[in-house]
Amino acid sequence: MQKDLESKFLQDFEQNQNIVHKICRIYTTNQDAHNDLFQEVVIQLWKNYSKFRGDSKFSTWMYRVALNTAISLYRKSTRTITTQDIDDFSYKIQSIQYDDTEELQLKALYNAIRQLNDIDKALIFLYLEDKPYKEISETLGITEVNARVKMNRAKDKLKNILNP
Amino acid sequence: MDLETYKKSWGNQQVENTSIDIYKMSRSKSSSIVKWIFIIGVLELIFWTSLNFMVPQKYLEFYKDFKVMELIKASTYVHYVVIIVFLVLFYKNYNSISITDNTRRLMNRILSVRKTVKYYVYYNLGGIVLSNAILIFILLGQPKDLIKAMNADGLNMEANEIITIFVVTSVLMVLVMLTIIWLFYRFTYGRLLKKLNKNYKELDNLENLN
Repeated sequence: MQKDLESKFLQDFEQNQNIVHKICRIYTTNQDAHNDLFQEVVIQLWKNYSKFRGDSKFSTWMYRVALNTAISLYRKSTRTITTQDIDDFSYKIQSIQYDDTEELQLKALYNAIRQLNDIDKALIFLYLEDKPYKEISETLGITEVNARVKMNRAKDKLKNILNP
Repeated sequence: MDLETYKKSWGNQQVENTSIDIYKMSRSKSSSIVKWIFIIGVLELIFWTSLNFMVPQKYLEFYKDFKVMELIKASTYVHYVVIIVFLVLFYKNYNSISITDNTRRLMNRILSVRKTVKYYVYYNLGGIVLSNAILIFILLGQPKDLIKAMNADGLNMEANEIITIFVVTSVLMVLVMLTIIWLFYRFTYGRLLKKLNKNYKELDNLENLN
C-alpha cells in the first residue's frame, strides 16, 4: 500500500518537478538555499499526498503546496543537506532551443523577479506559468478583482526593474 | 521589451530533473516555521503552567491568617479550567493548519496558533497583576495581621512601610517578567514571524480596502 503510494507520488512528482525547481529559483539566491527549499517542498508534498484526492490536477495542487511552503513555511536554514545530493542544476538556466538571447532574457527575468516581494513573486510566477486569474485568486486566497489589481502592480514593478 | 517576450522565454526554459529518493526525503525533518512555532508554543505553555505549581507552600501559609485561602483555592480551580481551554484551543488551531489551504488562510491559521500562546501569556501576566492587587487590597484592610505576619522577627516596622515593600516587590517582579518576555519574543517569534507577518500584510492590504 505504502509502496504503491510512493511509486504513484514519484510518478506524479517527476512529471511536475520543474514547477518546484522554478519556484526554488525565484525564492532563493544560492544553491544551498535552493536545495533546502526544494527538500522542504518535497517533504510537505509527500506528507500531504495521501490527502490529495485528485479532484484537482496534481500540478494545481503542487503549485499551491510549493508556493505556500516558499511564502509561509520556509525559513532560511543553515542545515546541511545530508539526505540527498541534488545535482548542481540551479543556475544552469537554459533555453530548450539553446538560444543565447533567450537565455540572457531568462537570466535577466530571474534576477528581476528575485527583487520583488514574496507575494509579487508568486503573482508573477503564476502569470508566467499562464494560470488564469480564477486559479491565481484561489491559490492565494484573494478575490479575483484583487488578484488583477495586484498583478498589474507587480507587472509594473517587474517592468521597471527590467527596463529602468 | 514587452513582458510577453519574457513570458515566451520562460515557457521555453529547460529545467533539469533530479531523481529523488522519496524514502529518504519523506523521513528527513521539516524545518518549517510551523514546527518551530509549535515547539516554542508548547514550551511556553509548560513554562507558564509549571510556574503556578512552583509557588512554595510556605508562601501560601503567609496568607492563612487573612481569610483569603478560600479565594485562593477558588481562583486556582478557575485557573485550571482556563489552562485546559487554552490547551484545547492551541491544539485545535495547530491542527487546523493545512499547507493545502490557500495562502491567505494558511498564514492566518499559523498566526492564530501564535496568538493563542500570546493570549495565554497575557492571561498569566494579567493574573499575576490582578491577584497581587486584590491581595494588597485585602491585606491593607487588615493592617494588624499584616504587621504580625510580615514582622515575625519582631523588627520595628510600620504597616505603611511593609505595604510599600510589598507593592514595590510585586511591581518589580512584573516588570522583570515583562522584560524577559519581551526579549524572548524578540529573539524567537520576532525572527520566526518577521517574513510571515510582512507577507500577510502584503496579501491583506488590498483585501481590507474592499
